[in-house]
Amino acid sequence: MRAFIARQLVQLVVVIIGISVLSFAILHVIGDPVTLLLPQNAGKEEYERYTKIMGLDQPIWVQYWKFASRAVQGDFGRSWYADTPAFGLVLERMPPTIYLTFAGLGVALLIALPLGIIAALKRHTMVDTVCTMIAVAGQAMPIFWLGIMLIIIFAVRLRVLPASGYGSWEHYLMPAFCLGAFLAPITMRLVRSGVIEVMSMDYIKTARAKGVAEALVVAKHAFRNACLPVVTVLGLQFGQLLGGAIVTETVFAWPGVATLTVESIRNQDFPVVQCAVVLLALVIVVVNLFVDVLVGLMDPRIRVSG
Amino acid sequence: MKGRTPVAFLCAIALLLGVSAPDALAQTKEDTLVYALQSDVDSWDPPASVLREAIILGYHVYDHLAVRDLKTRKVGPNLATSWQNVDDTTWEVKLRQGVKFHDGTPFTAKDVKATFERVLDPARKMTARGNHAKIKTVEVVDDFTVRFKTDGPYPLFVERLTAQVMQSSKVIAEKGDDWMKENPVGTGPYKLVKWNRKQEHLLVRNDDYWGPKPYFKYVRVRIIPEQATQIAELVSGGVDIIKAVPPDQMDVIDKSGQARTASSPILRTAMLQLDQAARGGPNPFTDRRVRQAANLAVDADGIIKHVLNGLGDRVATGINPMAFGWDPNLKPYRQDLAQAKKLLADAGYPNGVEITFHEGPPIVEPAIQQTNDAIVADMAKAGFKVKRNYTGDNTILVARIKDGKGGPMFNWSWGYYSVFDADAILYDVFKCGEAYSYYCNKELDDLIATGRSTLDQKTRAEIYVKAQKLLFDDAAYLYKWGLRGVWGISNRVEYQAPADEVDRMYLATPRKK
Amino acid sequence: MKTALASGEVALERGELDVPALGAEGGRASLRRLWRLKWGLAAAAVMLAIVLVTLLAPWVAPHDPLAVNIRHRLAPPAWMPGGAADHPLGTDQIGRDLLSRVIYGGRVSLLVGVSAVLLSATLGVLLGLAAGYSGGRLDWLIMTLVNVMLTFPFVLLALAVIAVLGPSLLNMILVLGAADWPLYCRVIRSETMAIREREFITASRALGGSHVRIVFRQIFPNLVSAIVVISTLQVARVIILESFLSFLGLGVQPPTPAWGNMLGEGRVYMLNSWWIAAFPGLAIFVTTLAINLMGNGLRDWLDPHMKL
Repeated sequence: MRAFIARQLVQLVVVIIGISVLSFAILHVIGDPVTLLLPQNAGKEEYERYTKIMGLDQPIWVQYWKFASRAVQGDFGRSWYADTPAFGLVLERMPPTIYLTFAGLGVALLIALPLGIIAALKRHTMVDTVCTMIAVAGQAMPIFWLGIMLIIIFAVRLRVLPASGYGSWEHYLMPAFCLGAFLAPITMRLVRSGVIEVMSMDYIKTARAKGVAEALVVAKHAFRNACLPVVTVLGLQFGQLLGGAIVTETVFAWPGVATLTVESIRNQDFPVVQCAVVLLALVIVVVNLFVDVLVGLMDPRIRVSG
Repeated sequence: MKGRTPVAFLCAIALLLGVSAPDALAQTKEDTLVYALQSDVDSWDPPASVLREAIILGYHVYDHLAVRDLKTRKVGPNLATSWQNVDDTTWEVKLRQGVKFHDGTPFTAKDVKATFERVLDPARKMTARGNHAKIKTVEVVDDFTVRFKTDGPYPLFVERLTAQVMQSSKVIAEKGDDWMKENPVGTGPYKLVKWNRKQEHLLVRNDDYWGPKPYFKYVRVRIIPEQATQIAELVSGGVDIIKAVPPDQMDVIDKSGQARTASSPILRTAMLQLDQAARGGPNPFTDRRVRQAANLAVDADGIIKHVLNGLGDRVATGINPMAFGWDPNLKPYRQDLAQAKKLLADAGYPNGVEITFHEGPPIVEPAIQQTNDAIVADMAKAGFKVKRNYTGDNTILVARIKDGKGGPMFNWSWGYYSVFDADAILYDVFKCGEAYSYYCNKELDDLIATGRSTLDQKTRAEIYVKAQKLLFDDAAYLYKWGLRGVWGISNRVEYQAPADEVDRMYLATPRKK
Repeated sequence: MKTALASGEVALERGELDVPALGAEGGRASLRRLWRLKWGLAAAAVMLAIVLVTLLAPWVAPHDPLAVNIRHRLAPPAWMPGGAADHPLGTDQIGRDLLSRVIYGGRVSLLVGVSAVLLSATLGVLLGLAAGYSGGRLDWLIMTLVNVMLTFPFVLLALAVIAVLGPSLLNMILVLGAADWPLYCRVIRSETMAIREREFITASRALGGSHVRIVFRQIFPNLVSAIVVISTLQVARVIILESFLSFLGLGVQPPTPAWGNMLGEGRVYMLNSWWIAAFPGLAIFVTTLAINLMGNGLRDWLDPHMKL
């Protein structure tokens, strides 16, 4: 087990280095940052002055090293737009997004687990198709469309939920549902195939033959084993969820980091973009590490063979 | 049983985090007014910002020396009690006594001096500098008397006093610009309690206010970028006042039984600025014929009637009908596609010309997207192949335009810094070399300069008639219309739509049933 | 992170991967299979209809999708009071015919979907084959890249690229195409690794077959069904992503209609002129639903054991 965790940690370091290189590259791959920043009619002197200020006259590896060593200390430079440290700006907006994503994951599971299990048990029947359709319907509705529909129904017509904003638990319901609906189909697919696989295993057949009640078989074995791939993929989907979070945050006026990043991208405010990307990637990496360890604990095969 | 842990765990985390999220501040609905803005301010220091939102928020926390009465549209005393011309280039202003800043320090002549000197300091690059560039020195006569020396006669002096908030000399000296971006210390009717960037401002009533006290103890200013969400919030009772309601959505609000709409002509003219000055390099609009063709291509009257439901006032140039100096006799361009095509061909584009168009979001201009669609379609008929480039965040678009990157054609509307005078648009948007001007014409610059330093209003009016003739003939920009603002107001609130676009929450009262 | 790959969402079941021939089990059995596939077949028929209509747009659409008529704007669908038979689905905020725009918009949306998927599938399959077949350092390198890509908030990078390069159809296809290749790469790699060890590969290697030949002639055909299924499902995802980008103003630029930007433009009108957003929304809904059901059908037909 110790070796397993050690291997995970090595992998973690490699991934983090990769992420830092990629986010550093954002600025350089896309184009010349000085040109992006300066007015079109700026003179040559102005150009050179900016190059100096930003340290862009140094070799690229020196620039990377500077970026990385500062980033480790939480210093991503000052936002070119708001003129305050980028790290603080991003950090302040992190929690709403993380809460929203977790809430979305929760909703996705609430939808996907029952639908996936039922679909698997009633495989190739009308029920299976209907379950699939429900899940796919969630994905086929663009988030902002679903979001505005929810607002119209629950806030405007029924007046039971606040239309937008951030604060109390009521504010979570609609955004979380939107995000959850976005993630549910892929989760459901996994639960379904996981359960199908497990149900055909020998020990389930044995349990059935022993006369264990069907419901108990499902609850005890099928469910648990179907969880493995689901948990793994949910970790990976965390990054995907961010795409959905951007739109959800805009519709519901949710003060999260996803909208901040999009604004900063539009501002070409690269210190903020870099900082947000690195911090978000870190969250995803940590979630994945956590998931891997969990899966390792749950699945003895991995613990042994790795 | 281990198998269920991760799922349960994730749910538990989600729940825990959800419950522990920060709770709303403890205010009751009755003593709180909620106002929505589409985009947030970049700072709480109004002279450093170009955004309308910063002016609006500034009115709540700061006071001006003079203010405009919304009913009569005349400028009257505020922190200044009176003013007079000592000679052609000197204004003497008497100040109100017994006024205190939010930090307890009394408001005196020292603060007026410090405020103006800060704004006028070229090194600080304050946005509001252009407003007061004609002021040469500010002298403290005694604690409550200030003398302004101006560079030549300055007829707009009093008008401009409405565009400058009074800040504390102590704060300016001790705290500095960075601190002031987030910590407004004013004398105004409200104090800032909390600012969550891009989310919400919470203001609390200043119970020591020298003037009439606002009715509502708290004002929440919420940032809601989505227009559909804003309207939904209004009709579901989550927000009390919204602005820039699209004309097409007025019926939704009026039929809701929860809120109503109110409209008012506002001091803002909309246009498409064309890069005549070639700030972004050579482009077709440096040729007058192309600019004229653009003006002749668009059926602005039809657009006002059908797209804006009549909520717009066609103008011949950028001068708004409400501004001093407007020439009612100058007739606007009318659509003439044949003539437009001919002009384009004469300019060397018989097969049409390609144009990039930078557009912004509907923050200040109602139905901008729809009217742009119609304009682009009209221009296409005359041979303009318009490539559209949309920027979703207004502040970014504004920054680009300021940088000279707006050309060859972009959306623009100018709110005159709420100064009801032709000069307030001519100087900033048409004078050669100004940050938001893409037009350069020596003849016009001379007219602007003379208009600025003439005290006799009749002579000034004649100067502006000349300027408008010039701008019309030269088709400086693609002229559109004077805007009418549409507000959505909750039925629990009494509120008057402001012609100067400065929402004043301190004037809102509960509505009598 | 390795375990994530082993039990990942698209790890296929080891074993019977060869494409089964339809009808091998005899007439009645195959009929039963067909009946089982009825949803997939129906979905395929719907998809065929959608593709045909969008391809034949110039002949099918009643109006020019760009023709503005501000005097006849916000007209409701024909069956509602105030609607005109001339515009069956009504008109939009500047009087363009909605039906024509939905038809032409489908062209753009499907074009983006299919091209982006082709791009990411090609990239992903090639890298996956390389990683799985060669193993060793190349495998490690590619898989590290895949892991970084999967943990990297790629949506944000895509946005950054589009924001700087400028929103255009080509840029969008490139960005969306570049975003999804790791998904293919992971599946293909693990499959390739499994197949590599099987007898017929060892045999042909012993017979002196070149690597390229083995990879493309013997391994690749075994992966076709997986690739087809993933790709089908991905088309639906890309169409949805396109609508995200359009919502943020970074997608297909107006006035060119695409389902995503039509939906985005119509969102303000959802409280009164609902049809502007409803019909492109419906088009996206039906199309993604059809594609998904078709994908499920394909999976069941090609390989019932596939874990997708």
